[in-house]
Amino acid sequence: MSDKKTIPNASIGSSAENSYKKPETTRRSFLSWLTVGWAAYIGVTGGFFTVIIRFLFPNVLFEPPQTFKIGYPEDFSSNSVDIKYKKQFNAWVVRDEESIFALSTVCTHLGCTPNWLPVESKFKCPCHGSGFRMTGIHFEGPAPRPLERFKISLANDGQILVDKTKSYKWEKGEWENPESFLKV
Amino acid sequence: MLDAFKNSVDYLSNPTISFSLLTVLTPLLFPPTDWFDKINRKLRLHLLWTKTGCAISMAVITFFFAVGFLDENFSVILTKADNFPIILMFYSIFFCTWLAMHKAYINDERLEKGLKPSEYNDPDDKVLVWPDLVYIEFIALILFTVFLVVWSILVAAPLEEPANPASTPNPSKAPWYFLGLQEMLVYYDPWIAGILLPIFCVVGLMAIPYMDINKKGDGYYSFKERRVGIFIFMYGWIVLWLFLIVLGTFFRGPNWNFYGPFEYWDAHKVVALNNINLSEYFWVKLLGTGLPDNILLREFVGFIVVGIYLFITPVLLAKTVLKDMVKSYGLVRFGALMTFGLVMLSLPIKMYFRWIFDLKYFVAIPEYFFNI
Amino acid sequence: MAKKENKKSLLDTLGESQVWKSIIRSGIPRTRRQRMHAILGSVFLHLHPARLPKHAVKVGYTWCMGGLSFFLFVNLTITGILLMFYYRPTVEYAYTDIIDLAEQVPLGIMRELHRWAAHSMVLVVWLHMLRVFMTGSYKPPREFNWGVGVLLMTLTMFLSFTGYLLPWDQLAIWAVTVGSNMARAHPFIGHEGPGASLLAIGDINLVHIGSDVRFALIGGRFVGEATLLRFYVIHCIAVPFIMMIFMAVHFWRIRKDGGISGPL
Repeated sequence: MSDKKTIPNASIGSSAENSYKKPETTRRSFLSWLTVGWAAYIGVTGGFFTVIIRFLFPNVLFEPPQTFKIGYPEDFSSNSVDIKYKKQFNAWVVRDEESIFALSTVCTHLGCTPNWLPVESKFKCPCHGSGFRMTGIHFEGPAPRPLERFKISLANDGQILVDKTKSYKWEKGEWENPESFLKV
Repeated sequence: MLDAFKNSVDYLSNPTISFSLLTVLTPLLFPPTDWFDKINRKLRLHLLWTKTGCAISMAVITFFFAVGFLDENFSVILTKADNFPIILMFYSIFFCTWLAMHKAYINDERLEKGLKPSEYNDPDDKVLVWPDLVYIEFIALILFTVFLVVWSILVAAPLEEPANPASTPNPSKAPWYFLGLQEMLVYYDPWIAGILLPIFCVVGLMAIPYMDINKKGDGYYSFKERRVGIFIFMYGWIVLWLFLIVLGTFFRGPNWNFYGPFEYWDAHKVVALNNINLSEYFWVKLLGTGLPDNILLREFVGFIVVGIYLFITPVLLAKTVLKDMVKSYGLVRFGALMTFGLVMLSLPIKMYFRWIFDLKYFVAIPEYFFNI
Repeated sequence: MAKKENKKSLLDTLGESQVWKSIIRSGIPRTRRQRMHAILGSVFLHLHPARLPKHAVKVGYTWCMGGLSFFLFVNLTITGILLMFYYRPTVEYAYTDIIDLAEQVPLGIMRELHRWAAHSMVLVVWLHMLRVFMTGSYKPPREFNWGVGVLLMTLTMFLSFTGYLLPWDQLAIWAVTVGSNMARAHPFIGHEGPGASLLAIGDINLVHIGSDVRFALIGGRFVGEATLLRFYVIHCIAVPFIMMIFMAVHFWRIRKDGGISGPL
């Protein structure tokens, strides 16, 4: 009998007399401790899995630089697409009548790299046939939206600077943004 | 003569035609109702499941590939090492489907006469696994190993140029078993074709035993007792999965344009793909006004169409044609069946809307990547 | 005559020897009882019951496809382990190691064996599904096992897909670029999926190219070094491990659901 007295004492941490006189309090507080225990268990397990998921996201990426210079505005003739920077930086430099802008080479459908077809004057994606005009506007195939434009500006030395960390989407009206093109 | 054959194959393999043909052919080959069964008998299509039917079909497939190997354009596709499994797929899937249907027809006749299915044996008359089964497994294992070794010696595994993130090969194809998915991507946006439909496909397959409440046909080949179930499965499996794989492998060339199997892959083939959204049809073409600025207003027709399709159709069907089915199935099971069925059917429906009306999206909200 | 008896007794002597009996307790399986013991006493063979209904051993009924799927899985595990001895999953070495596998390594068809077995496995698993469907073998009490089978089929295709990247050639990188870009469109957790732009605090998007589900899958913004390593680990360890668990359940449930299906 004395055993019965001490065991709940230890587990609930209340005074010996109390628990002995009111056994239902013991049960109730035991249940509440159980709840706390389970809550703690779920919390810790959840936290553990959250940390595991966070583990999948690297902090440091070993990818090429996102900002690069592409030369002077005069280097680009008007109404032409420069494909020099496609290979290294994944960007086309396009000059139309009044501006120069940098288009992303990532097809907005599934991320293939379209090809510039000068004769038909369009970008054509080999994967699923999306077509984009020189401006980057989509007009055929499954692409849901135009190509993205990168931030473009003039550096201090007069060269054009393309910053890939900022991109501008047509469907959000961001091509109006003066950072998305360079007036010439 | 051969040219005429090639030209007609090229013509027939155009997705609009070949897909329609298969869609019409499937219910005739696997007739789900008496009406289809009658036509099946009238056209003598059931003879396909006889031994002669098998021999003739195998000969036709072989003839097709033989002509293909000799053709300068088709042989380029056929002799690609990674495409050999597709040729195997043609033979093995046809033969296995034939075998199952052949046995099913024999069993159907036996069952009609009141006999047990041909698989039936006296339950007390069992055989020992050693040696009866173990030896069969051993032989199958050896034969398959020999097959693999011979295949590996004859055909080198493909290796193209080193990876180059800057230039995408034209055309750029997924592994053959995913070409069905890649083909769906032409019609639906990635979040539907790449995520939603595959999930529905897997979950739908898993749900088959819970949706098929027909207790007959368990443990032996049969067709008549389960014809609706087999028809639905075969339509999804052959037309919406296997055919799309064949389409993606054989009939898709540069720029993902359609090319007949015997056609030269001209990378400069110009195909107009000017697709129009439903909202543009409604506001611009029908009402003659511009697109409204409010997204919900702009796309309301599309929302109504999709809503009617997904939510009103099942209710209508439950109240009319499928009244008895609701009773025997119960609401939950019926709802599940309708959901999976309608999602599965949404693929051919979208394909036809694309082909006939150049429809791009029912609902087009690229601002939130929400296109249907 | 005496010679013949001698030969016979050689096998029998072997079967009765202490070494043989310590390995296979029932001796040479000759009698019905011994043959049943040969199955029951073997850790590998006792996947099978000792006795089966007659139709279950007919190739016309089973097509052998389930067994072949398992055989191909074992086959791919062995050839895969052998390939791992020579292959380094880095952008610098992957492609050249693949060339070496064909040109420098003895028995230069190991990659072929692995690749063609992988293609076959996809096909064989499909045919297994077709057989199970056509015989109605998914019907109660085997509903759950059909579901496990569908998962195994999905895993087979995913396994094959992750292996596709490892040669690091044009075929590989673009197939995987297209495939992994589908994850980009996952509702809410892909940065180009519907609803993703709703998950934002003020102007800051929570789900962007550097934080979405695709980023977690390929370990970067595009398919590169990190992706190759991740797919290598997923292909060689993670998915096979998960598959083995599901296969154990699959095989166990075949027996527990009453063995192979058959007419009543």
